[in-house]
This record gives sequence, C-alpha cells and structure tokens, in this order.
Amino acid sequence: MGAGAVSSSFPVFASPLDDKYSKYPDSFQVSSGRELVTNSISTQASALVSNGNIDGHLLTPPSPGFPNFSTVSPHGRLPQNSQFISQSSTDGASFPPNHSSHQDLQSPVLINQYEVSHIPWCTDTLQDLLDFPDNVPVQTGQVESATGVITSEDHTRRNDWQWADGLISELDTDWNELPDVNVVDPISEQTQIHQQPPVTSAEFRSVANTLSTAPPTKSRMRWTPELHEAFVEAVNKLGGSEHATPKGVKNLMNVEGLTIYHVKSHLQKYRTARHKPESSSEGTSEKNFTSIEEAKSADIKTSFGITEALRLQMELQKRLHEQLEIQKKLQLQIELQGQYLQEMFETHKKIEDGKSKTSTSALDDPSVPLSYAIADVKAETLKLDQPKAGIGASNANPTPEEGFWDISQEQRAHEPGDGESNASPTKRARTDQTGDIIN
Amino acid sequence: MKFGKRLKQQIQETLPGWRDKFLSYKELKKLVRSISSAPTLLNGSFEYGRAEEEFVYLLNNEIEKFNAFFVEQEEDFVIRNKELQQRIQRVIDKWGPNGNHPSETDYKEEMAKIRKDIVDFHGEMVLLVNYSNVNYTGLAKILKKYDKRTGGLLRLPFIQKVLQQPFFTTDLISKLVKQCESTIDAVFPVEDEEKTREAREAIIVAGEGIFRNTVAALQSMQEIRRGSSTYGHFSLPPLNLPDSELIQSVQLNSPIPIV
Repeated sequence: MGAGAVSSSFPVFASPLDDKYSKYPDSFQVSSGRELVTNSISTQASALVSNGNIDGHLLTPPSPGFPNFSTVSPHGRLPQNSQFISQSSTDGASFPPNHSSHQDLQSPVLINQYEVSHIPWCTDTLQDLLDFPDNVPVQTGQVESATGVITSEDHTRRNDWQWADGLISELDTDWNELPDVNVVDPISEQTQIHQQPPVTSAEFRSVANTLSTAPPTKSRMRWTPELHEAFVEAVNKLGGSEHATPKGVKNLMNVEGLTIYHVKSHLQKYRTARHKPESSSEGTSEKNFTSIEEAKSADIKTSFGITEALRLQMELQKRLHEQLEIQKKLQLQIELQGQYLQEMFETHKKIEDGKSKTSTSALDDPSVPLSYAIADVKAETLKLDQPKAGIGASNANPTPEEGFWDISQEQRAHEPGDGESNASPTKRARTDQTGDIIN
Repeated sequence: MKFGKRLKQQIQETLPGWRDKFLSYKELKKLVRSISSAPTLLNGSFEYGRAEEEFVYLLNNEIEKFNAFFVEQEEDFVIRNKELQQRIQRVIDKWGPNGNHPSETDYKEEMAKIRKDIVDFHGEMVLLVNYSNVNYTGLAKILKKYDKRTGGLLRLPFIQKVLQQPFFTTDLISKLVKQCESTIDAVFPVEDEEKTREAREAIIVAGEGIFRNTVAALQSMQEIRRGSSTYGHFSLPPLNLPDSELIQSVQLNSPIPIV
C-alpha cells in the first residue's frame, strides 16, 4: 500500500517541487542512514545515488517523506560513517595517483571524511574507526573510480555524499582532472533516465553550481575546541593568521575529512576574531547593539559600578542556562517515554492482529503509569526489540528502519481495510495520547 | 496561540542577526490548518500524501536553517572562547608575579573590559542554547498540531530525528558556558552585598542586547510552562525559578526607545 501510494504520487510530486527547487537552499541534506524508506522510494533513490555522489545528496529533497537532515551529529556520526571508512581504505589504491605529494593524503582523504567529526570526541580516532569492521557490508566495486560511487542498495551510504563532497572539493583544489569529469558526466547521463526529468536537470544545474561557484562546504563541519586547538597550532607554525594559507593549514592539521573550504572559512572567522578582540565576530549588527548597550550601562556605571550590573546579568544568564538544561532533559525523557509507549503499542497491536482482540484491553487504558521510571524506559525499549523480531512485522520498529512516511501510509491504510473497527478508534486515541507532549 | 506570541516576542528581543533564524511557526501553523480543512483528506489518499510531503519538506528546510545557523555560531564561539582565554592569560601574566606591573588603573580597566566581555560571551552562548530549545519546542508543538488536526502519525518518528540534529545537540555549548562560569568566578572580585542590591534596583533602566534577551527568554519559558488546556502527562511541569521575583522585578518596560 505504501509503495503503491508513493509511486503514484511521484509524477505529481515533480511539479510542486519543481518551482520549489529554485527556493531550495542549496544545502546539503543527507538523510540519516537507517531511516530511509520504503522500497519504491529506495529503488528510485538508489538508482539516482548509484550514479554519483554529488547528485545523490541533491536529489534527496524531492523524495517524499525523507527527513533530509544533514547527518553531522556528534554522537551519531560514527556508526554510519565508519562503514564506509574501512571500505574505502581498501580501495584507496584505485585513486588516480596523479600527484605524488598527495599520495599520502589520498587514503586518509577517502577514509576520514567522518573522522573529522570524530576527532574532537575521541582521542583514538583511527582505533575506533577500525573497530567497526562489522558494519561494513561488502560492497565490491563500490569505490571504483575517483568518484567513489555509492551503490544503491545501501541507504546508509547516503552519508557518503559527505565524503564525496569532501572528495570533490579536494579534487577541485588539488587535481584539475578527470575525477571531476567522471563525477559529473555519469550523473547527467543517468539521471535523465529517471522519473523526474525536470527535477534532475535542475539538480544538475545545482551540481554545476556547487562545483564551480558556491564552496561545497555543505558537508558541515562541527568545530570543537580540540579541533580548533589543532588549527591554531598549525596556523602558528605557518607564521600566524596573516601568513598561513588554508592549504598549508589543512595539510599540517592532517585531519581526515577536513576540506580546504572548511579551513578557509574557519581561517576567515579566526582572522576576524583576532582583529576585533573586544566585540564578537558577528559584524555590524553586533556593533550596533553593543554601542547601545554601552550607552545604557554608562548610566549604571555612574551609580554603582559596572561590576555589579555584570554580576546581575551573569546571574540571570546562569539561571536561564540552568533552566534550559533541565527543560531539555525533560523533553528528551518525554520523547523516550513516548517512543517506548509507541513501540509497546505497536508490539501489542501485532499480537492483536494475529490473535483475538482481548489483548487490546490492556492498552485501552490511556493512563499508562508514568511510574515506568524514566531510567527504565531505555532498558525496556531495548527489551521490546526481541519480541518484535519474533513477530517479524516490518513496521514494528518504526523509527530506525523506516521512514515515517511509510509508517503513516501503512497505519492509515490499516484502518479502512481492517475488520477491527474497534481497534481503529482505540488506536487513534492511543496515538493521540502518546503524541501528547510538551505543551 | 500562546507559544506563537511568545516566540514572536523572543524574536523581537533577540540579537538582530538572529531574527530570521527562528522557526516560522505561524506559517507552519497556517499550513497545518489549511491541510486539515482541505476537503479531500482521506486517509491514505494521494492528496494527503502530497500535503504531508510538503509539510515535511518545509520542516526539513527549517531544520536545515537551524543547523546551519547553530553550527556556524558554535564555530564562532569556539574561536572566541580560545581568544578570550588567551586574553585573560595575557592579562594575568602582565599583572602576575612575572609581569612588569603597569599602573593600577590600567589593570582595572583591563579587568573591567574582560569581565564585560566574558559576561557577554556567556550570555550569547546561553542565548544560543535558548535558540535551540525554542525552535525545538516549536517543532514539537507544530508536529503535535499536525497529528492532531490531520490524524497523521508524523510526530513521534520525526521528533526522534530532530533529537539527533546538530542544532539540538547543545552539549558543547553548554560545556563552554560552564567553563565561562568558572572563569568568571576567578575574574570577579568578591561580592559586595550593598552594591548588589543597588544594582538590582537600578537595573530596571538596563537596555537591550543580551541582558534584555535573556530576561525575555526566561519569562517566556516561565509562561509557556505555566500550564494550558492541553496539559497532560507528557507536558513539561511549570518552571521552578528560585528567584522568580528577581525576574519579575526586572521588567523590560524601558522608557528608552529602542533605536
């Protein structure tokens, strides 16, 4: 049902998204690996993906229901990325060794797109990366050329577009050859075969743009204090912020996955920050309000000293921060709770589907005791994974494995089709309950 | 409705460069309303699917916006943090045991400047955390509305993904904030009771910028969590601010017009 709905909606989908395309921020949106989707979507997307990395990430937007977030998240980075890492290390040799000086960098470049993020968080980056051998499904022929094509079937590879992005920018700056061409041509060729021709041509334009004009720093880099330390060290070794060049700094830092664009923009920020030590690096808007603030504080200054005013300001800020942290913890707990309940519900529904309706009676009670200690939520969520596996329902575990698009379709589909008219309103009420969160 | 208004207020009070980086709550709400009032909203229907996709598409754009802004600000903060630390170190060295002891007034001036900068820096970071939170809250609310109005099941899985987004993972910033707080303690002289009281009274004339924004944020939070019609098991409890009277007293009804 889900598949059917999706494919039929595609042609229509092309049009509304067409004009949205111009508005579409040329930003890099990579779906977090595992959450990708139904078969129909995936086969289409995968066909797109297999032809080129650049194209891949730009194509995700039209795909329905994709949560297209960039995957640079601190803790979630590694697992998906590492799969590719070990893979590419073996294929590093296939990389056109054009510049001997870069040869050493080739493998690291290929491998370590993801280490970038990793470095700040762990010290033994390489160690950790090599510890993920199990995550690497064997995909032979995947990294064949400089383009490092990602094969279709594995959607987790979407993260590899980041890698590719980094790679492309590497290619841009360091080698002015085939790699670029290889990357671009196959894409244009193959994508035209595709269902959404208008979309693909638009994408192709954006691709060209990405390569030529806008810096492809869409692979977002999360700078941490440690990384910045390394940066500063490198800059100092190269004669200070005025004399250091992005390329030099990048090479000196030797951080895998760090592109020259990352370094360039960071260097720019760094220079700005140094030249204006008193104010922030936000620019003129900052200056405006700083001057106003200073004027105001002049009043306070005369009466009792700026220090006390600052102290008060500090107090308030501290307070706000405290509350924010508490609030965030609560929000997280609420979501965990909600997720747990949802999964429990799904599990029971599966059981119910197979048997009588008696098992729903337990779930009819909406006031599930919150005495399920928050601490236990996680443990219990994990426990639920086993029975789900037994039941074998594909949407028993909605979050990791399927797109929510799919879930919505399927679950909505269940209702009219089912003979369980009782279950439907119950389910609706149930989900409303679980859906109830932060006011 | 309350959240929307509060959000607008916060946006107004926020630092100028941030104004267009917040969630377009109102627009999204309008969209949800139009989706739910559309006639052909049958479950599993084609139009519904498309509407949902559009909604998701917009949400994704918003999230992308948050991520981009947040990560960029974070980067700036990381840089400034280091610079500030270095600056403090230089001052300490200059007036420390090995320094050449320049004049007392110079020292005072330097210290005053540094204090102000540290406090402002701290404030901006906290505001970034607040930014993250406000947008998250808005997203959660809009998703809830969506599910409610359209009978969809979008919220739960979508929110799970939001939780992993860069803009939501504020751990680094919080760490820097705490670092700042400990630095401040080292850099500020011992508190003078009398002066502090005076400061609190006089602070009513305080102007804009970070301070104002912070107060607005705290007030907002308090209001939002005061309770509402849909308060339930899964709502946040009311805000428990130890010195909420402090917040009350710091009213932002400044007679000085905002230029």
